[in-house]
Amino acid sequence: MKSPKFNTEALPFLKKWGTIIFFILLIFAFSFMRPTTFATWGNLKNIVEQSSILAIVSAGVTVVMITGDMDLSVGSLASLVGILSALLLKSNMNILVSEIIGLIIGGLCGLLNGILVAYGGISSFIATLATMTSFGGVALLLSKGVTLFGLPDAFLWLGQGSIVGIPVPIIFMIIIVIFAWLILEQMTFGRRLYAIGGNHEAAFLSGINIKLHRLSSFIISGASAAFGGIILTSRLASAHPQAGNPLMLNSAAAVFLGMTAFREGEAHIGGTLLGVFIMGVLGNGLNILGVNSYVQSILTGGIIILAVLLSSFAKRKN
Amino acid sequence: MIINEAPALKLVEIKKEYPGVKALSGINIDFQTNEIHGLIGENGAGKSTLIKILAGIVKADYGEIFMNNKKVNIRSSKDSQKLGLSFIHQELNLIEYMNAAENIFLGHPYPKTRWGTISWKELNERAKEILKALDIDIPLNIPVGRLSTVNRSMVIIARAFAVSALIYFMDEPTTALAAHEKGMLFEVIRKLKSIGKTIVYISHDLDEVMLLSDRITVMRDGKVVTTLAKNEYEKPKLIQLMTGRNMNSLFPPRLESRKFEEIILSVRSLTGPKIKNVSFDLKKGEILGIAGIVGSGRTELLRSLFGVDKIISGEILFDGSLFMPHSPSESIKKGIALVPEERRSQGLILNRSVLENIAIVHLKALSRGPFIDIKNAKREAVKIGSLVRLKATDYRNAVATLSGGNQQKVVLAKYMLQKPQVFMLDEPTKGVDVGARYEIYSIIRELAKEGSGILLVASDFSELLGLSERILVMHEGKMIAVVNAKDMNEASLLKLCYGLEGS
Repeated sequence: MKSPKFNTEALPFLKKWGTIIFFILLIFAFSFMRPTTFATWGNLKNIVEQSSILAIVSAGVTVVMITGDMDLSVGSLASLVGILSALLLKSNMNILVSEIIGLIIGGLCGLLNGILVAYGGISSFIATLATMTSFGGVALLLSKGVTLFGLPDAFLWLGQGSIVGIPVPIIFMIIIVIFAWLILEQMTFGRRLYAIGGNHEAAFLSGINIKLHRLSSFIISGASAAFGGIILTSRLASAHPQAGNPLMLNSAAAVFLGMTAFREGEAHIGGTLLGVFIMGVLGNGLNILGVNSYVQSILTGGIIILAVLLSSFAKRKN
Repeated sequence: MIINEAPALKLVEIKKEYPGVKALSGINIDFQTNEIHGLIGENGAGKSTLIKILAGIVKADYGEIFMNNKKVNIRSSKDSQKLGLSFIHQELNLIEYMNAAENIFLGHPYPKTRWGTISWKELNERAKEILKALDIDIPLNIPVGRLSTVNRSMVIIARAFAVSALIYFMDEPTTALAAHEKGMLFEVIRKLKSIGKTIVYISHDLDEVMLLSDRITVMRDGKVVTTLAKNEYEKPKLIQLMTGRNMNSLFPPRLESRKFEEIILSVRSLTGPKIKNVSFDLKKGEILGIAGIVGSGRTELLRSLFGVDKIISGEILFDGSLFMPHSPSESIKKGIALVPEERRSQGLILNRSVLENIAIVHLKALSRGPFIDIKNAKREAVKIGSLVRLKATDYRNAVATLSGGNQQKVVLAKYMLQKPQVFMLDEPTKGVDVGARYEIYSIIRELAKEGSGILLVASDFSELLGLSERILVMHEGKMIAVVNAKDMNEASLLKLCYGLEGS
């Protein structure tokens, strides 16, 4: 009677903790292979710092995905806002004002997505696929397709500076994640988003304004993508019209990875953060191992599938 | 029924234990050939576990299964299928744009041509054979989405017989069917019996089970209480066996000599996409039943009053002033609530906790500013939960883990967190066992006693007659009568519903 025991005890454990165990194993594996380069405080800080922009963008995507929608436009939106704020800064606009304008533009682009999805009735996948293409076009048009350099030094503090030894992007990440956690877990707004994602019809009959909530989630996602784009521009000290594009796939991957952790099949901010760090550790570790970047892509894809498979297998058995 | 023959299926001492729960403690039943065998019990009695064991989804911890005196092992659903066991589930959905033949064979291997492609001709032939054997006439050349409701139900029924099995297990097969469709299903079941099959019929509807079955096995708390032969059936006795307690009446007692004066809801010539010119007054403390066959517009009437379905013309006066709802949120704010027909798809967020499901409607009232006051929410949820006699070990558990009756109580609770002035209930006891049913009736009565106006839609006429003061009868979207419940019986109400007696 060994197998029933496995069925009833090991699998739920794996289901809940599988993704985090996978994450820890990943860290152990890299530490074992490269103890002097991977497993150092400096590198750890490096990973977190590199992950912070993805974490900020993914936090917004999490909000959208909780209601069952998808936002594919975050990557090109981040690029667009990066270009936009670079242009504003180069026209000698005040840093704070230009970044606030960038965030507002991000929110407005999110509003557009939200209107198309919630009020236009277009599936979020298609609507944001279309706006992704358009935002990307606008970014290329504004930048004339070239990288913009010559940003003011004070602006570079956002992505490269530090406060009491902690890099500024990490501080922003912590603030955004705490903020997202408060909204999603502690506020009525967030619980209503979960209700919508859990059962659209029941949520509607419970008196929730579904359109307004979906619209709002896209505004949040747009603004956080814009924020990510601004920090990315500062970090690179330049704005490239496609710099933010990989954020789209990576944020989706992070949220999906997060959906396999702790709770069953729904997006949540803690899981997303774990997903972001898995992506970060993978990228960093494979780099240190000197894996060819094409091969890295193949491995990253494979490892994501493995992680998701592991936990969905546990779910099925349960 | 031939008793001395070897039973088609014999269960000996089947046991199953889940962590902390004895789901089945030694089940012994024999099912004969040429028999319709009713299986009844409250939710949690162990019926579904037993079915899952036979279907090969769950493994029994102990016990033996014999078919025709031969011991068999069921390790997987494939084993179960090979042995000739077929399972017909509660709610089967059709794929709208496929025709009836394809829907019938969905999930079974399609016949192939010698090129390896699907042989549509043979598929249609086989479908025709099944339909003919069941005496059902359905056009095969159009998508089922364009079939009438009755014909669609027939497709669902035919689908169950796509495989030829020895024993058919039917779990609540009539929940989605209208009265005359039920009759057609029963004919099919009897036909199966006549050709030497065994049918195990599981339902909460005791009238149905008593009507159909040759024998009835009653289960309670993971045990078989008894198996009764046809001449031993009696509804009160069955209920007593199922619940283990004495119940004198199915309904809580009516309050004597109540007078209703104040009108809470006044509906004037209300017309919507599926309702025409409906007018009535609902008084405070009154239970107004709404009767009608499926498609008569009773659900749509409630949905219009709740702000879900569009109102084309007419007006609604709520507490004396005009109120035309545009969304459920407007109605809920006013104090109008609707317990929707489909508990699982419309009433609950199944993967979320009991607490969250109860709190979701009046979340604002449980919050301080934008933040949820968790302590207050818990307190309020437990308070309303105990009021509706909700049995949940932990309010943090997903609502999906509760039994049907308790799930329904969660739906009631969530709309009752702030007492509604008008409480509309659409089939509040669908798929709910007898014990929980009585409790739900009591909750409705208490709410009425405290002054809420109740609108009750139910297909179960005994429920309408037992609870309501007056009954509004609908037919094809129109209101055709308002009658006093005292003056009616089930037969006369049925006649009215079919539009056979004008008034």
